[in-house]
Amino acid sequence: MSKPVPFSKVEGEEIMSYGNSSCQGCGHAILARIAFKVLGKNTVYTSVPGCIWISLQGSIPLYWRGTVFEGGGALLSGISNGLEINGKHMQVVGFYGDGGTVDIGLGGMSAAAERNENLLWICADNEAYMNTGGQRSGATPKYASTTTTPATKESRGKKTEKKNTPFIIAAHNVPYVATASIAYPNDLIGKLQYAMTLKGFKYIHVQSPCPTGWGFDPSKTIHVARMMVESGIWPLYEIQGDKTFKLNLKPKELKPVREALSQQSRFRHLTDSEYDLIQNTTAEKWQQLLEIDGKVLPI
Amino acid sequence: MVGNKAVAYGVKLARVQVISAYPITPQTTIVQYLAEFIANGELEARFIEVEAEISAMVAVQGASFAGARTFTATSGPGLLYMHHPMMEGNQLPIVMSVVHRSNKSMQPDHTDTMAQNATGWMQLYCENNQEALDTTIMSYKIAEDPRLYTPCMFGIDGYILSYTAEPVEIPDQSLVDEWLPPFKPKWAPDPNIPVSEWKKMQGGYYGGQKAWITHDEHFKKSLEIIKEVHADFEKNFGRSYGNGIVEEYNCEGAEAVIVAMGTIASTARATIDDMRSEGKSVGLVKLKIYRPFPMDEMRRLAGKYKSIGIIDRNVCLGAGGNVFNETRSAVYDLDEKPRILGFHTGMAGDEVTPRMIQKIAEKTLKAVKQRVEPTVEWV
Repeated sequence: MSKPVPFSKVEGEEIMSYGNSSCQGCGHAILARIAFKVLGKNTVYTSVPGCIWISLQGSIPLYWRGTVFEGGGALLSGISNGLEINGKHMQVVGFYGDGGTVDIGLGGMSAAAERNENLLWICADNEAYMNTGGQRSGATPKYASTTTTPATKESRGKKTEKKNTPFIIAAHNVPYVATASIAYPNDLIGKLQYAMTLKGFKYIHVQSPCPTGWGFDPSKTIHVARMMVESGIWPLYEIQGDKTFKLNLKPKELKPVREALSQQSRFRHLTDSEYDLIQNTTAEKWQQLLEIDGKVLPI
Repeated sequence: MVGNKAVAYGVKLARVQVISAYPITPQTTIVQYLAEFIANGELEARFIEVEAEISAMVAVQGASFAGARTFTATSGPGLLYMHHPMMEGNQLPIVMSVVHRSNKSMQPDHTDTMAQNATGWMQLYCENNQEALDTTIMSYKIAEDPRLYTPCMFGIDGYILSYTAEPVEIPDQSLVDEWLPPFKPKWAPDPNIPVSEWKKMQGGYYGGQKAWITHDEHFKKSLEIIKEVHADFEKNFGRSYGNGIVEEYNCEGAEAVIVAMGTIASTARATIDDMRSEGKSVGLVKLKIYRPFPMDEMRRLAGKYKSIGIIDRNVCLGAGGNVFNETRSAVYDLDEKPRILGFHTGMAGDEVTPRMIQKIAEKTLKAVKQRVEPTVEWV
């Protein structure tokens, strides 16, 4: 990544206009404000159905096109090739949610990554289908209560772990893969600016908490996002084209996962033993990441 | 050359810039030929080798939006898989070749394209390989007409044309270049145009019933534009296909006509010639278009002939033949109506012989004088 830069030091005008129709405290709106200022005006961006298209698209005055839910990767590929063959050089950016990335869009994204199409894919991950009322997606973490995995008498929420999409994409031999969080804008900006200098398929997966779907006070979005990183649940890292893995943030000590999750009503049903399980899994994964930090991944 | 090669040459002559397709029999060799043209430097284009037909359709939509001339091709099941994105991008002048393939065999019938009858795509049908090449070139001129900007697909019958060699004349590149200038749409993103101005140039139909009305009215305009482009093609290239949407063949003084599409029209020509020489009063109407449906042309024919036998190489399960149904609907308000009979034949690529065409024509002729039963039959 490039050097982390504070938002106020990013050159150029803000793209996003004042006011948008997202929910109060929406992480995606924060992400859009940061990302589009960094990307600048020479950008074509695209949407697939979801919160971003519905609530933010009207507030992002840029060259834009939307397509079918499954079509994110193909649309970007077509635009990128169509512009280049006509001698136009613009940033071609997909700004999609987790559904359009890790589920219905995964096939098209994988193919675009494998072809190393020249584009930037930003996944705004709020960990469920929030636009349709909070159904689970492949990005929903284990135990989260969603409208299709409700935690009730016979159910403990989602049964399986969150899909590790950044690693899936890294296995496609692309020039850049990174995770980021809206609570760490300087890190995010450094990653966006670095991605913009590269040719080929760039992927930035940003965790973006959803007050409505996760169940927390809209004033706490940044706080919740930060806790997810500080507890090690959402580590910030990047994988270069040569497969070098780097942890971008290494707290001396991780905060307990309970501190992060207990603020979210989607986890309010968790028992002590379930918290322990999540704590152990998180600690184990964190240890694995520390072990590969600075090394070349065998993928 | 084989039909798939004729299409590929048409695409090359049109100087297509972005191609995207997914392999499917019997389409695949079209894009293989194109990949070869690109690989050996004969065609300057990008080929996006996608993982599925949905992506092929969305990729060419993206490229067309970005200002490139585009092409894709598919067959039967692949076309069905494209259905979702085909409902979008209604103002992008994409050209697609469909090498017809049934869903009950790998051989052709027209159920694949006709299942896309409400997607807002023009649909043209080809009888031979020369027509396939010429229709490829014409499709770009039609789709990219600034009064229209609408996607266009054209069909060739799988195997019967796709893998069968016929003599085909390839027009000079210079002639095609002059007739089909480079594609320069106003909607392509351009850093020199402020976004606020650029947004005003975007087409598409969205929002309430009004959007459907506008779209439907716009789409129907294409019939006249197709005829116009076809007439201009004839003037410049010296070949014609009726008036571009229908062709009346050996119909002078005939009381009855049979209607055929695609390669069945070719078989029917010989049969009709034989029957006319025997003094039988039956001609052939070749239908080159299915979408938009040529309602006025069908009414005109209905006013001219006493009996019309419609050959449908398709079936709308539970509701009969598509062309039969739509023709009957078109003529319903006429005070004097001809008898209209329906025939399903050649389904799933079953062979359609001159004898079968003769049987259809004889029955249609009989209906000039009297009611015949059944109105619809499988031949």
